[in-house]
Amino acid sequence: MAETQNWVPLGIDTNVPSMARVYDYILGGAHNFAADRQVGGQIEKLVPGLPSVARLNRRFLGRAVNFLMDQGIRQFLDIGSGIPTVANVHEVAQERDPAARVVYVDKDPVAVAHSQLLLADNENAAIVQADMREPEVVLSSPEVARLLRLDEPVGLLMLLMMHWVPDEDGPEKLVAHYRDALPAGSFLVMTHVAKDQIDDSVDEAAAVVNRSRSADQMHMRDHARVSALFDGFSLVEPGLVGCGEWRPDGPGDFADEASMNMFLYAGVGRKD
Amino acid sequence: MTKPSRRPDAAPPEDTTAVRAREALSRKWSYLLSSVVVVALSREELDAELGAQLDALCAALHSEPFDPAPFEEVGERLVALGYVNEPGLKRTVDVLGKGLLALEEFRSSDQHTVRVVGGIGALTCGFTAARARAILDQQESMQRSLLKAAHDAQRDQRQSEAKFEGIASSSTNGVLIVGLDGRLAWGNESIGVIIGRPPEPGTRLVELIAPTSIVVFREMMETVLSERGEFEREPMQLVRGDGEFAKVTLTASLLRDDEGQASHVLVMADDDTELALLQGELRRQSLHDVLTGLPNRQFFTTHLETVLRRADPEFGVTVLHLDLDAFGLVCNSLGARVGEHLLQHVARRLRAVMSHEKSMVARFDGDEFGIVVENTARTPDVATTMANINADLGEPTYVDGHGLAVSVSAGVVHRPPADVDPVELLRTADLALRQAKRDRRGQWELFHASEDATGRRDAALAVVMPGAWEQGDIGVVYQPVRDLATGGLAGVEALLHWDLSDRCAVLADESGLILPMGEWLIRIATGQAQWWRQRGELDQQFGVRLTHHQSTDADLVSRVSKVLEETAMPAARLTLSMPVGVLGVAVAADNLGTLADMGVRIALDDFGLGPRDLAWLSALPVVSVLVPEDLVRRQDPRSAALVPAVHELGVNLCVDGIESAEQEKWWTEVGADLATGAHYGSPLDAGAFLRKIS
Repeated sequence: MAETQNWVPLGIDTNVPSMARVYDYILGGAHNFAADRQVGGQIEKLVPGLPSVARLNRRFLGRAVNFLMDQGIRQFLDIGSGIPTVANVHEVAQERDPAARVVYVDKDPVAVAHSQLLLADNENAAIVQADMREPEVVLSSPEVARLLRLDEPVGLLMLLMMHWVPDEDGPEKLVAHYRDALPAGSFLVMTHVAKDQIDDSVDEAAAVVNRSRSADQMHMRDHARVSALFDGFSLVEPGLVGCGEWRPDGPGDFADEASMNMFLYAGVGRKD
Repeated sequence: MTKPSRRPDAAPPEDTTAVRAREALSRKWSYLLSSVVVVALSREELDAELGAQLDALCAALHSEPFDPAPFEEVGERLVALGYVNEPGLKRTVDVLGKGLLALEEFRSSDQHTVRVVGGIGALTCGFTAARARAILDQQESMQRSLLKAAHDAQRDQRQSEAKFEGIASSSTNGVLIVGLDGRLAWGNESIGVIIGRPPEPGTRLVELIAPTSIVVFREMMETVLSERGEFEREPMQLVRGDGEFAKVTLTASLLRDDEGQASHVLVMADDDTELALLQGELRRQSLHDVLTGLPNRQFFTTHLETVLRRADPEFGVTVLHLDLDAFGLVCNSLGARVGEHLLQHVARRLRAVMSHEKSMVARFDGDEFGIVVENTARTPDVATTMANINADLGEPTYVDGHGLAVSVSAGVVHRPPADVDPVELLRTADLALRQAKRDRRGQWELFHASEDATGRRDAALAVVMPGAWEQGDIGVVYQPVRDLATGGLAGVEALLHWDLSDRCAVLADESGLILPMGEWLIRIATGQAQWWRQRGELDQQFGVRLTHHQSTDADLVSRVSKVLEETAMPAARLTLSMPVGVLGVAVAADNLGTLADMGVRIALDDFGLGPRDLAWLSALPVVSVLVPEDLVRRQDPRSAALVPAVHELGVNLCVDGIESAEQEKWWTEVGADLATGAHYGSPLDAGAFLRKIS
């Protein structure tokens, strides 16, 4: 705390790494502070392919949003949206239909402030500051009330998100809570660190995150556990697969190193 | 990140072999780049984008003399695509360095080799410079976000602190914050009332507990501290300063710091003594309006003081003073009971409309309501709020079978300074309301400071006016009415005069003092007229102007007939004028008709500005009309056209407020009959007036 300027109040300690900003760093952005870069650098050393994982996740996001647009979805709830970078959900969706509506959710106050500044002129997109573990807060927020019609199908996005939720917080119940608030025909889009596809270096990387002062701790899950999060959703082809394997569209959608393509599980499910 | 578009100056070559070779190279570039960069483009879009870039580079290589600038620009454009970092640059340099030279079109001369090397260098420079700028931009935007987040967090914290303090201080319940060591950290005023002395910080809470309650108290605190329950609630007794005991119900709950650690215990004490219960009820009643259940003006004023203090300085508060339009009409036509039901309905609706805001709705007196809104970033603007209120109230409600839709007018004070006196603030809102109500309905008016300066002066004058009148400071003065054709005296007009204001009649009209004062004016004027006539000094037609208020006074006829009786003035020698605008009110038209029947001559004031003005002349027994000062000055041909129109109806026309010989001449030429005004000298008291005209 001592090095933090005193006008930065509690909860915005730039000496504490934020996973939203670490992700931005790994992706190649400069929306981050020294503490974020330090953690990001450590992780990158342990898992040298990580930038391509972040990049593949981003590419998957673009494909999934386009897929949902093809299915007629025009409203999106992106939970754990982080620092807005390149090809954000609203950019992809509104490029195809300017009337598409997007509500982002993040708990990091800096990510939220950043998003607010970025979205100031976009009347069809907004951000809610909330912890995704409090679905009632998210769903009853004025932004959701203003932009989303919960009686029409919604695209629910949870990318690189659920592995921050420990088992004791009931991740299945949490997803189910959101699912129950949405009508049939809605979609769940998820990526999740794949515990059974990666080697020990990742455990060490997770340990780096968990040892840092960040409030977020990583909880990797295997194929069966991640599949269980899609309870009540029917996975669309090709099912829950490596992020690079989900309907790749070109060379940028998968990595040269096969293991990086499998680092994350990715899936899209339709609510029955 | 923007998507660069195809450059118009970089047309592809004509030769199809060369086109294919370039396409192959740009696709390879796109392929290699796409696995290391994060961009907003799809694969096809990236292919097309890089194809265009490559065409630009080739055009540059062909140009004479060679200019490496397009290479530098391509470097910059790569950065603009998104997150294209050093790996992206490296792949670009690799693929273009080899690929450009391998293109058939550049193989013919060594000169191109030199150019490609120079060009790639320029591209690298452009890329590096743009990348540095992008990093700075991103860092700067992060700093801005950080500042905003800090600002937002501080505001939230201030708001919640202020909110807690506001609630705790104004609560009739005792509130104590107790440290984990059991010692008092803070207590509100009410706890001081309950225990008969202000609570001393540092006191051990247990010392306040009566011996009979100690066991229950300890158990309660243990339960709370061991986090076995959210909160605990037990009746017990506290020791009062006077040795007596106070019956209370204590509620204790744990307070946590930002990291979720227990930090304090919050203890609330409900005063259970019957006296307290009774006082509570009395307090509720004395602070609430019985009919609607809303807070009353007193409560509202106190509340205003609190919210002014705690309001977020960035958004401030907004005070609305509302008044139902045509409420009197409802009561008069449908009865007081319907009126009461209507007020209850309006109270409910106002509360519902304002429920999204942190606000208080209060009933003032009669059909007036007050609203104070503690604004936030999401509060709609005043116009929207008023539109919402009127839209809601515009939906008819059924009261005793009558479908009633009402509208409200409002005076609004938006974001007053935090240190303003609440009473003053309400006065200001009231002033703005009067302004809004002047002649419109369903309107609202923001308070303007300049209006207030005049308004305040007027109000101050109106307050001292009755005293001034009693003291004899307000008198009657006379001015001549001239016949324009002959220049002779055609009559005398009597006016109120006060040294402090030339708007004496206007002020008296607003305050209502005009009713007795106007009657007095007529009495003095007719008395003076009779005096002059009996002495043979002056025998003239005497005129007095009635104000709005007087014209609509139900007692006007009896006041005038009483005066005529007392002074024995022949009714036909008195001319009374009414403002033409008041004739829409039935009482005024009735008054006019009756006075005319009595023989009083009737004139209409402020004539010529309204579309219906002429129509009144055929409907009512009017002798003369007065054209107001601004029309007199304007000398508009359309005003001139008024003269024959008035004459045609057998009415003569008096120009009111001639200031110069030139004006007199113009109006004489257009055919006006009579005139008054400064041109004929200022109004004088009776003695001076008589001396002057004789």
